[in-house]
Amino acid sequence: MNLELTEEQVALRDTVRRFLAEKAPISGHVRQLLDDPSGIDDAVWQGLASLGTTGLLVPEEYGGVGMTMVEAGIVAEELGAGLHPGPWLSSAVAATRMLTRTGAGKAAAGILAGIADGTTMATVGGLGDIRATAVQHDGARLRGEIVAVPDAAAAGVLLILAEYRDGTGLFAAQANSTGISVTPERGIDQTRKRFRVGLDDVAADLLATPSPRDIAAVVDDVLIAMAADALGAARAVMQLAIEYAKVRRQFGQAIGSFQAIQHLCVDMYETVELARSGVIHALWAADAAPDERHPSALRAKAFAGRLATVGDTAIQVFGGIGYTWEHDAHLYLKRLLSWSEFLGGPDRYLTELGASVAHPEPTRGRT
Amino acid sequence: MDFSYPAEVEHFRCDLRAWLSANLTDELIAARRPTGRDDAAFETLRTWNRAMADAGWAAVSWPREYGGRGATVLEQLVYTEETTRARAPLPLNVIGMNNIAPAIMQYGTESQKETLLPRMMRADDIWCQGMSEPEAGSDLAALRTRAVRDGEHFVVNGQKIWTSLGHRADWCQLYVRTDPDAPKHKGISCLIVDMKLPGIEVRPLVTLNGDTDFAELFFHDVRVPADGLLGPLNGGWQVATTTLSHERAGAARLYAELQVRLEELVADFAAAGVGEDPVTLCRLGEIAVRIKYLEVLCQRSISATLHGGDAFGSASLAKTVWGEIGQDLAALAFDVLGMNRRWADYRLTSRSLTIAGGTTQINKNITAQRVLGLPRT
Repeated sequence: MNLELTEEQVALRDTVRRFLAEKAPISGHVRQLLDDPSGIDDAVWQGLASLGTTGLLVPEEYGGVGMTMVEAGIVAEELGAGLHPGPWLSSAVAATRMLTRTGAGKAAAGILAGIADGTTMATVGGLGDIRATAVQHDGARLRGEIVAVPDAAAAGVLLILAEYRDGTGLFAAQANSTGISVTPERGIDQTRKRFRVGLDDVAADLLATPSPRDIAAVVDDVLIAMAADALGAARAVMQLAIEYAKVRRQFGQAIGSFQAIQHLCVDMYETVELARSGVIHALWAADAAPDERHPSALRAKAFAGRLATVGDTAIQVFGGIGYTWEHDAHLYLKRLLSWSEFLGGPDRYLTELGASVAHPEPTRGRT
Repeated sequence: MDFSYPAEVEHFRCDLRAWLSANLTDELIAARRPTGRDDAAFETLRTWNRAMADAGWAAVSWPREYGGRGATVLEQLVYTEETTRARAPLPLNVIGMNNIAPAIMQYGTESQKETLLPRMMRADDIWCQGMSEPEAGSDLAALRTRAVRDGEHFVVNGQKIWTSLGHRADWCQLYVRTDPDAPKHKGISCLIVDMKLPGIEVRPLVTLNGDTDFAELFFHDVRVPADGLLGPLNGGWQVATTTLSHERAGAARLYAELQVRLEELVADFAAAGVGEDPVTLCRLGEIAVRIKYLEVLCQRSISATLHGGDAFGSASLAKTVWGEIGQDLAALAFDVLGMNRRWADYRLTSRSLTIAGGTTQINKNITAQRVLGLPRT
């Protein structure tokens, strides 16, 4: 029983935090990329790669750092706190885990090495609800249309889950292949880039034939990493609001001296610390306790609605200034709301969780 | 990052489980939440306390010299989890053992320790704590009950309220004002008072559900022997804060108790054939996720204690969260099973979760100022 970060983990956190503050700040970087479909510039991505963050989950044999979701979560939290708009979650977590959890490692050695050294950005299409995609397999060609693919404009490699024979195939396609169309889907959060990807007889390589269990495990990884990102966003906007409450004066005193404001701040803190509890447990379970991984991912997603209230409350503490475009509070609220909306709103997950409490056996699968 | 417990702690868990399964009867489980007027249940629980004491399971956090096991923090955590999940009754002297005994161990004379502690552990004597007053609730240091030295005695006059077990107590750990001219925190002393002394009047307070959990105590010229002073004269405030260093895993009771309530609720839903609609399942999920997160919050707090991490104001936070979850659980239970007597009762008594032991609002003030660094008014 030791839930403290190690010295190395603290160093990783501080390094990423410092890098983002210096090289990818909200004012000078994030806001410039709000309307940019890729959400990244080469210098920042190479910087993240040279810190080892893109290859954190890539096994050492493929040129990565070979760490666990605990370290990935530390990076994700900082990226969320910095509202980072790049494809890190897609490439360093979703694509990497899709390749390593489905046994595609050797066939995908080149992709993994590229992810690790930053020369390849990858994303996964069809993760949320594979049956809803109309992707067909025809020889080594993909057809169909996949919605809500994150970071498809930035990615050089698209990993596509497609119906294949009697099951599912994991395919890799180069993003510039003939027959691929990428259309932005504008969601609430401009720091999250999502796309509709059309596939019209696209040449692709079969990498693996993952089981539903494999895919569910990757979905859990992605949910858990996104929960860490959202935790970072919630923590950051809470801290901004608390610091503001200490310096903003009305009626001759700091507004943070009023109990009404203090209790709003504590409400945010309570929610953030509950979320942190869930996130660290899920990050640990992702690799160390497979039986706990899915329940912990489910909880993290189910808590997303409550976590988003931190953004709402922060804006309330800021008052009018928090309602402006100029202020960063809305960017944080949107980041939290897009997490809450991702793969379906919280009620669906709360209900699933409630059902798993009411009927503890047998272990329920994802619906 | 590691959530698992060391093997020796799991061994401790196994020993305790074995003992509980051999000794904890259905009758005891049924008696575990006695109403204040149920004398038979009270005596049943007294017998249980003695059985636990004889087997060395009554006060695991106490040092061995006082009948405890000198349990480590993780052992205390496991002890709390297991006894709560097994639905074992709390010790009758739960307040005494957790809050009064540590002060006696630190400040008491050898004779006080030898005579008082074993009898407290076995529930031979029942203890209460005289703290709150009508004009000193959340602002405890404003207490006004006076004690004036007169030869070999303190003469006590005043009134206490919300005194748990006051109507059954043999002893009272009483906080009194001994220096009315000092700043309010520096004029308080702590006395050990025999409740049979002349001049003490006890009036049971009837709570909102008709129960008797606590009492008002009235002191009229009560002559308390001067050797009943616990700790330094006018050093009562530091005596009151001693407790914290001992029972460090008490927070485990918060989530373990809610887990038990949730299990009971789910079982009662199933028995009544209700609770399968999406709205109820959604509310159930909402409660379940927070109970799990409260559990991890408490584990983080203990990890910080063990490994020198930042405790992030977790104690105060955990209590606030616990009260909110408990009330939501009570509301859900009543909304679905309103005619069930037990859940209707819990719907009412759950109001105390955000009041007793420091209101949620006071807790939030403390967190705002001490943890978040917001300025005092």
